[in-house]
Amino acid sequence: MKEIITIQGLEKNFGKFQALSDVNFTVNAGEVVGFIGPNGSGKSTTIRILLGIIHRDAGNAKIFGKDVWKESIEIHKRISYVPGDVTLWGSLTGGEIIDLFLKLHGRGDKQKRDYLIKRFELDPKKKAKGYSKGNRQKVGLIAALSTDSDLYIFDEPTSGLDPLMEAIFQEEVEKIKEAGKSILLSSHILSEVERLADKVVIIRQGKIVETGTLDELRHLTRSTVTLATEGDVAEMAGINGVFDFKQKDNQATFSADNQYINDILMEASKLGVKKFESVPPTLEDLFMRHYEG
Amino acid sequence: MKEKFAGWDTLFLQYLKRDLKKIIVWVLGLGLFSAAFVPAFEEIAKGQGLLGMYETLLNPAMIAMVGPTPIEAAVDYTLGAMYAHEMLLFCGLFAMVVAALHVISHTRKEEDLGLTELVRSFQIGRQANSLAVMMEILFINVILALFIGGVMMSFGVDTISVEGSFLFGASIGMAGILGAGIALVMAQIMPASSGATGSALGIIGLLYIVRAGTDVSNVDLSMINPLGWTYLTYPFTENNWIPLIFALIFSLMMMVIAFRLEGARDMGSGYLPEREGRESAKKSLLSVRGLFIKINKGVMISWLIAFVIMGAAYGSIYGDMQTFLGSNEVMKDMFTHSGISIEESFTGTIMMVMMSLVSILPIAIVNKLFSEESRLHLSQLYATKVTRGQFYWTSIGLAVFAGLAGILLAAGSLGGTAIASMGDKLTMDIFDFLAAGFNFLPSVLFFTSLAALALGWAPKLGKVVYIYLAYSFLLNYFGSILDLPEWFSKTAIQSWIPKMPIEEFDALIFIMITVISIVLMILGYLGYKRRDMIEGA
Ligand SMILES: Nc1ncnc2c1ncn2[C@@H]1O[C@H](COP(=O)(O)OP(=O)(O)OP(=O)(O)O)[C@@H](O)[C@H]1O
Ligand SMILES: [Mg+2]
Repeated sequence: MKEIITIQGLEKNFGKFQALSDVNFTVNAGEVVGFIGPNGSGKSTTIRILLGIIHRDAGNAKIFGKDVWKESIEIHKRISYVPGDVTLWGSLTGGEIIDLFLKLHGRGDKQKRDYLIKRFELDPKKKAKGYSKGNRQKVGLIAALSTDSDLYIFDEPTSGLDPLMEAIFQEEVEKIKEAGKSILLSSHILSEVERLADKVVIIRQGKIVETGTLDELRHLTRSTVTLATEGDVAEMAGINGVFDFKQKDNQATFSADNQYINDILMEASKLGVKKFESVPPTLEDLFMRHYEG
Repeated sequence: MKEKFAGWDTLFLQYLKRDLKKIIVWVLGLGLFSAAFVPAFEEIAKGQGLLGMYETLLNPAMIAMVGPTPIEAAVDYTLGAMYAHEMLLFCGLFAMVVAALHVISHTRKEEDLGLTELVRSFQIGRQANSLAVMMEILFINVILALFIGGVMMSFGVDTISVEGSFLFGASIGMAGILGAGIALVMAQIMPASSGATGSALGIIGLLYIVRAGTDVSNVDLSMINPLGWTYLTYPFTENNWIPLIFALIFSLMMMVIAFRLEGARDMGSGYLPEREGRESAKKSLLSVRGLFIKINKGVMISWLIAFVIMGAAYGSIYGDMQTFLGSNEVMKDMFTHSGISIEESFTGTIMMVMMSLVSILPIAIVNKLFSEESRLHLSQLYATKVTRGQFYWTSIGLAVFAGLAGILLAAGSLGGTAIASMGDKLTMDIFDFLAAGFNFLPSVLFFTSLAALALGWAPKLGKVVYIYLAYSFLLNYFGSILDLPEWFSKTAIQSWIPKMPIEEFDALIFIMITVISIVLMILGYLGYKRRDMIEGA
């Protein structure tokens, strides 16, 4: 498969602080890669290196087989990027800012722009200083999504979006994916990338700690379940796929392996379910578990 | 009524605590700057010093810069009279600016940042903040006034009397309060803090320039200028406290107006309405140049207008110069002897002053690129096919253009008004004025290139260029008054440039400084091309 992004042994220091110590991963053509890690783990730093905004101190990073620093302009002609923190010129309107970006990018699609503005329910006539955080994010997303690029890089794209808008974003990304484009999607919430990503790369303290397809990572994903039953809930403790079982009266909280979720539900229903809540795994849970084993 | 201001005392104490360091630097810095030069002036005053100074300072160019003196005969020109004459206006202006910036940073800026909202959610009245800030200003300036008075008195100089010392201090303190009042009103009218800062400083600048004109033509007219109420107290000579009363009344009026305006508006908005925006961009915006013009437009237009007004104000003085000479034999002799006309001499000095101010605009434009960078405005654009060279050279190009436009407008408006006010009697034509202005182009380019160098290698130092500009300006400002050693004056770039039309144009210097500036810009580019973009963190 053709490699779109190739990163090997990437390092970056900010003064004495080592932000990246060993980053390796690849993004293949047509692949959606979820890039996840807790706050300050180095996601944005990695992305900035990929975009030629900052230097690397060691290692290699290539996009389309070209060096990300030396040949950045060649690369930029074929990519789109949305920063994690979209800040805008207060005196320009959202519509003007999107147009400007499309023009400077060079491969913007005016029709797609208009379509996305409607889809995301953005008021393009409003001066940017009047936009909420979510609306600013929309401006960045619409600008990037209305270009025709081969690689899209999103840094925490849904921060600040309400669930409805988040769903629209996911749909639009899916369309790009179907068109065969490559996408790098950073986030600190696993569930956010779960739906879209073919592959997940996990970074922690500047190091890649896990890479693999979602299936390969399945062993890492457990949901936190809160269950109250009519029967004795303690019986749940012994079931396959249940971990960290804690009980209070007839209510229990435990982690459940997603692949055993069917068995767990069947057992629970035998006891008569009064309450069942399942919270998808947060990244921290995932890391905790990653280090447990 | 009481409710609106509820809790102001808590905030007031809070501010004093929070700003303690700033207040100490403020009072000590401004206080010593205003008061501690007495020994230096004693040096100047030795021998024939006072007489020489008196003659120098009667030159209309000097009056336009430092203000008038009530003294009519050289023998009455004492050390105290000279000190007040040379220092008071300038220090008062300084106090005004500092206070205005402080008021806006505690009112409008905090509001823009959303801090006020937080504070107001406690049991604090709507207008408590403004009152607290004004009280803080009052407090600081009273201390400042007493400090200045105390320090000056302590030198024990005969002609620097106790009453004069405290009047001198009080005039400077009052200037601070005036500046704060103006700023508080602007903070209500303008839709955002940058506008409030710009307009408050603009008004102060305007007052300064208007008084330059009235001081030369008719000092009585300066009495209706709020800035006039500070230096027209004439400490050590007439010791006139009355202007301070006008100033106090005026400041109170400003406060009342500001409180009225504030009471009637919504938080986060101003009185000048926001316009509806465009659905899609105009063609002219769609390039790096278009964007940079757009984001610098406000600053550029306001400064360029300021340059025109400044030129016109100084230009209008020309008409009064001959009358002025007619009434002053000493000066008349001086000019007849040296063989240069009073107008030419004036042009040489004023041009230097104006061109220093013109340099502010290009520095601001170059520094803007870094402030855009650190505010993350450009993040998404870095990932397009736009090169760093385009960002850099577009900024530099715009800055140089603004510098050229600034020189043209300032020198043109000075010349135009001068010619209009004197007609045939003026020996210079508009080209002489433009030549004298563009003669300073290398110095404007030099300041631009220093900002460019900082942008490339140490962008956080971009602000230091302003400090160097202020330093150069002060050196030239006082350089014409004090007798500074040659090497020391030469640390200011403008000192290298001959003052046309009194002195001859020096092509070598012109080319050399221009080339050095271009080299510095290229060096800056090399740094900009290879450094990390600084984003947040
Ligand atoms: N310009 C900089 N100077 C100094 N330290 C920096 C700089 N940029 C990033 N860092 C540090 O590098 C580390 C990694 O930051 P980075 O922004 O890459 O994290 P992140 O994974 O994107 O986190 P988040 O989820 O909060 O966005 C952090 O500890 C951050 O403080
Ligand atoms: Mg980040």
